[in-house]
Amino acid sequence: MDKTLVVIPSKCTGCGTCKLACAMIKGKGEAIARSRIHIYTTSPDEHVQLTCLQCVEAACVKVCTTGALVRNELTGAIAVNDDRCIGCALCETACPFGHMHFDTQRGKPEKCDLCLGNPACAQFCPHGALVYR
Amino acid sequence: MFIRIDGKQVEVKKWDTVLSAARRAGIQIPSLCYHPALETAGACRVCIVEVFEKGWSERKQVTACEYKVQPDLEVYTRSESVLKTRRTTIDLLMARAPQNAALQALSKNVEYPQTIYPPVADAGDCVLCLLCTRACEQMGCNAISVSGRGDTRKIEPPYGANPDACIGCGACARICPTGCIALTETPATITIWGKVFERLHCVTCGAPMMSIAYRDYAVANRELPEDYYTQCQECKRKEVTARFAGLSMKVHHG
Repeated sequence: MDKTLVVIPSKCTGCGTCKLACAMIKGKGEAIARSRIHIYTTSPDEHVQLTCLQCVEAACVKVCTTGALVRNELTGAIAVNDDRCIGCALCETACPFGHMHFDTQRGKPEKCDLCLGNPACAQFCPHGALVYR
Repeated sequence: MFIRIDGKQVEVKKWDTVLSAARRAGIQIPSLCYHPALETAGACRVCIVEVFEKGWSERKQVTACEYKVQPDLEVYTRSESVLKTRRTTIDLLMARAPQNAALQALSKNVEYPQTIYPPVADAGDCVLCLLCTRACEQMGCNAISVSGRGDTRKIEPPYGANPDACIGCGACARICPTGCIALTETPATITIWGKVFERLHCVTCGAPMMSIAYRDYAVANRELPEDYYTQCQECKRKEVTARFAGLSMKVHHG
């Protein structure tokens, strides 16, 4: 784990390319609402991108009883192991930052896993507001 | 330690079962009730295989999910007798849930499109795979279990009444492969197993969240305190935004 996804709100223009990239890669292009990165506009020239912080002592990991949320040693990201998940949905409410997305159709949560070390959002951000370094 | 699955040499650990060893080696054995995070039940019998150990006079049929590996074990996953048993098993399961997509997909596996058995009345699509009871046990609630024997065997709360231990988490309904457990969510309530749960609402925007009973259970049995369960996802994100926004302004104006 030698790289981090750095969010630089001061450079963000709110264009939404990161959301689109995330939805295309992670949501299989289904809906931009399934993006795991969000942009909030606080004033006309201020936008804040938010995604999973990959907490060191993560609330989602603490409440999971089946070991379905595991940190990937290479990327440092916490990823969902669908096979081990029983769909109790507690991780969604437990996340203090609102970055667990429970897919009610599949009965499994979805979260940012840093695309296994090549985050699409950072790759596609045209303004350098998301950097993986 | 090595075993042979369909003639292919596979390295195994001593705690492996035939199914876990096969999955790791990329060999597909169809299964329905197996779940890596739950106790093995051997309830559906779909993962049946033939095994042969040194010194035996003939092969034996066993469930791959339960059979512990032995040195030099030989496993046959697609022999004629295995396919025949598996087909009958899936046929019998399909009689309980004829229209179910998960079972239809399994039945394609044995190239048999429809069950030859008459549909079981009152089965309600339940194939008694016990995933729901095991998920409930994993949650620590044990609100539902098997009752009855033979053709009256079914899954229900104790005495068929409103389950006291149920917290309305919905894990049983979501894990059910045939989707036969009714979970009804309205903005105010969650209804499951005949019990109506009042829902928690986001303190900021009032959006419906988990049941109050689930929140209370989680606070008592998991590590996190009550204030983790007060806001909805959207409101939590907005709160974080406010803090980040302040931060970015500081960067702007030095």
